[in-house]
Amino acid sequence: MVVDPSEFIPFSEWLSNAAGGFIVLALVIFIAWTVIAFAFTAIRNTPKQAVSIVGGGLKRAILEDFPRSSLRRTIGMTRLAIQEAIRNKVLIIFALFVVLLLFAGWFLDVQNDHPARLYLGFVISTSTYLLLALAMFVSAFSLPNDIKNKTIYTITTKPVRAHEIFLGRVLGFGFVGTVLLILMGLVSYGFVVRGLDHSHTIDLASIEWDEETGLGTGFTSVDSHHRHDFLINRNIEGDRPVGATEIAQGHTHAIYREGDNYVVGPPTGDLLARVPVYGSLRFLDRYGRESDAGGEGGLSVGKEWTYREYIEGNTLSTAIWTFENLTSDMFSTGGGDEGVVPLELNLRVFRTTKGDIEGTVQGEILLVNPEKTLSVQDRYSAPISFEAEEFQTFQVNIDYKEIRRQNPNTAELEKINLFQNLVDNGKLEVHVRCRDHAQFFGMAQADMYIRAPEGSFEMNFFKCYLGIWMQLVLVTLFGVFFSTFLNGIVAMVATLSIVVMGISAGFIGEVQSGDAPGGGPIESLIRNITQQGATVDLDMGETATSVIQSLDSFYLDTMESVAKLAPDFPKFNMAAKVAYGYDINLDLILKQIATTLVYFFVLLFAGYFVISSREIAA
Amino acid sequence: MSTSVDDKRDVIIETRNLTKVYKDFWGRPKVNALESLDLEVRRGEIFGLLGPNGSGKSTTIKLILGLLFPTSGQALVFNKEASDVSKNERIGYLPEESYLYKFLNAEETLDFYGRLFNMSAGRRKQRVRDLIKLIDIEWAQRRQLKEYSKGMTRRIGLAQALINDPELIVLDEPTTGLDPIGTREMKDLIVRLRDQGKTILMCSHLLADVQDVCDRIAILHQGELKEMGAVENLLSVRDITQIQAKGLSNDAQQQIREIIANDKADLVSMENPTTTLEDLFLGIVRDSKARPGYNRKRERDQQEPVENAATGDETVKDTEETS
Repeated sequence: MVVDPSEFIPFSEWLSNAAGGFIVLALVIFIAWTVIAFAFTAIRNTPKQAVSIVGGGLKRAILEDFPRSSLRRTIGMTRLAIQEAIRNKVLIIFALFVVLLLFAGWFLDVQNDHPARLYLGFVISTSTYLLLALAMFVSAFSLPNDIKNKTIYTITTKPVRAHEIFLGRVLGFGFVGTVLLILMGLVSYGFVVRGLDHSHTIDLASIEWDEETGLGTGFTSVDSHHRHDFLINRNIEGDRPVGATEIAQGHTHAIYREGDNYVVGPPTGDLLARVPVYGSLRFLDRYGRESDAGGEGGLSVGKEWTYREYIEGNTLSTAIWTFENLTSDMFSTGGGDEGVVPLELNLRVFRTTKGDIEGTVQGEILLVNPEKTLSVQDRYSAPISFEAEEFQTFQVNIDYKEIRRQNPNTAELEKINLFQNLVDNGKLEVHVRCRDHAQFFGMAQADMYIRAPEGSFEMNFFKCYLGIWMQLVLVTLFGVFFSTFLNGIVAMVATLSIVVMGISAGFIGEVQSGDAPGGGPIESLIRNITQQGATVDLDMGETATSVIQSLDSFYLDTMESVAKLAPDFPKFNMAAKVAYGYDINLDLILKQIATTLVYFFVLLFAGYFVISSREIAA
Repeated sequence: MSTSVDDKRDVIIETRNLTKVYKDFWGRPKVNALESLDLEVRRGEIFGLLGPNGSGKSTTIKLILGLLFPTSGQALVFNKEASDVSKNERIGYLPEESYLYKFLNAEETLDFYGRLFNMSAGRRKQRVRDLIKLIDIEWAQRRQLKEYSKGMTRRIGLAQALINDPELIVLDEPTTGLDPIGTREMKDLIVRLRDQGKTILMCSHLLADVQDVCDRIAILHQGELKEMGAVENLLSVRDITQIQAKGLSNDAQQQIREIIANDKADLVSMENPTTTLEDLFLGIVRDSKARPGYNRKRERDQQEPVENAATGDETVKDTEETS
């Protein structure tokens, strides 16, 4: 699974970096708004009046309106928004959602290799799109309708402050959206769990037994469009599983004995919340040199997407992960057995020789004490071998009491304890190498991690919906804000533009920086019309090319600046984490909450100033 | 225009050179809606703003309430700027069309507006009950306003204007859409409110309604103030004396004519006065409610020969047109 590098930054570090940016953003917006308000008022009146009006507005805001806020009034406005939304039949969205789920079987691929990912992706995406669309409509049209119908007259002639009008709308529509989200979440959870729930049967007659070992193999029945291979041991007694199936469609089953029969248990392993403990990543080049010692670092194998770097097989090229704050207590009830440190790897394999294309590529792991004053023999464990396949996540269980190291005196392998011998103040290095000549392993920071004790899938699911909720709040905030000075349709389009810009901010940045070939909008339009490829130079003459690229540059700079003001919606979308079974960590949630709060306050103040400076009856 | 210091304390609304020019987006003047308006509304009076359509009445109201910003001049309410939201604690406003939320019912509407005045739950509940009873809408209080007739909506509009028991009540065309009974009730209520010590500013183009209730009026035309003063002073025709007497015989009438002639005054008219159509209508409705089956026409037809014998042939109507 692809993980944005910014996710590795702890919340406290992120906040201290971001706080300055938030303050600057708030100041820039405040100053820009004051200047725009002054200029606009000066045009329509006189500069002296503009100073009086704008200054008076600021004074009133600070000394009167905000200090005299009333919770009861705000609740009144909130209730009004809720009643408006409900009596305008927004709950029909929920009915639409249920209908989509009912007919989901018609268009979801039931033979998908990972149905859990498919189902989870479907329900989360559907919930997100429906709710955000609803939020856009409801929030963008409410105030403009009030102004058009003049119902706002009966509110602004009461002692209601402008920010209470704004806040009431946001809280009211947010509340309705929250209720809908909860309902959708519950139905989605039921849909996923029920959809994935199935069992198989085992035909006793079809089991092939090994009489010496007592092990039996065979196939389960075909249910839910798949079957499993299985392995059972008839010598195991009691209530515990006598065997398990192989993984198919992302899950496995335990097998139990019931009398003379063997019963397949419910599916496991498809709805997970792995808690990855990530380390920082650095590379040694093929000569074993670090980057700061003149080494080349990780290699590029020519792929356009540079998310991963590669190490060459059968050389000193190494990927080194450094983990911190490790203790043995973390693994006492680990993802594997007690006393086991589970390492999960999701490496890419790049082959320069085909060989056995279906075969695996050999690699090795070394556990290394980061304390460089120790001898090499004391620092390094014996290699732990593994086999890597493309696009497969595999786990290497390291029994931390059973690690081997070469004794420097006897040259024999001896057992050591991971935490006593190799972990130094909670720090551990894990070195990964590729053994096979002319083959490469590709990796990014998130491609290897230690699996801490697993989190709750239900809690993870909830956290994902919390991310949707924050997107809902952001869209509502922008919708209400734009509606304070635009009519309904334009406010909705403006809100949609913010969402699109937020989603596309990364792409806009790539186009602006030149990473995405083809140039800006004008250049790419010309390329389309004239059938010129994206990677060749634009053939329009020097002057024309220069003009086109200058215009594009100006446009893209503006777009990028504006896009930076929009929330980064992809960061709030955690569907991939839930679908791929990774726990959403608290730091990520805290960052999202902090970002949402910043937008809340900025838009609240901006909305206040727009409403209070607006001639309602004009 | 200026008043004594004591009167100043009683001035609820004051406009000083209040001007409003509607401009386009670029700031170019489009319409001079109001020009240099100076007026005062004092505590405890009913003040009427009159004028034809487009005279600036509604603009004046909106400037006073802070719904519009003046181009120049000032509007003060309770000695506070019109844009000061806190003044709204003491104001009730009935717009000309009762702009209310159609998806709410009467109870919810009044409860909502009560919350906006920060009224506690108990007080709000009591006030809603009292107002619904006052406007006689108990039978429909749970129906959404979109099902209400115009008159019912107008009554709810009035109720929301009174929810906070305001000191100043601003009524924009209060009798619009009301039937004669509703109009009478509205006017009676306005007078009752004045008698309770409240100040009322109303604007209307229905002259009869304004004449009935207002203490002072201002007449606007094309944004300018043309006349202002107490109603009875403005309407009084000083050079004509009006006498009404009951049971006057024909001989007495003739003597009166001779006295007038001897005084070298002009007899304008001596005739039976007319009541107003409103009084007639209300009287018939009242009698019909009190006495089901009562038919005034039938009663009059039965009495008519007696009345004609007493007054019909000898009724004299001398009129002179006044220049």
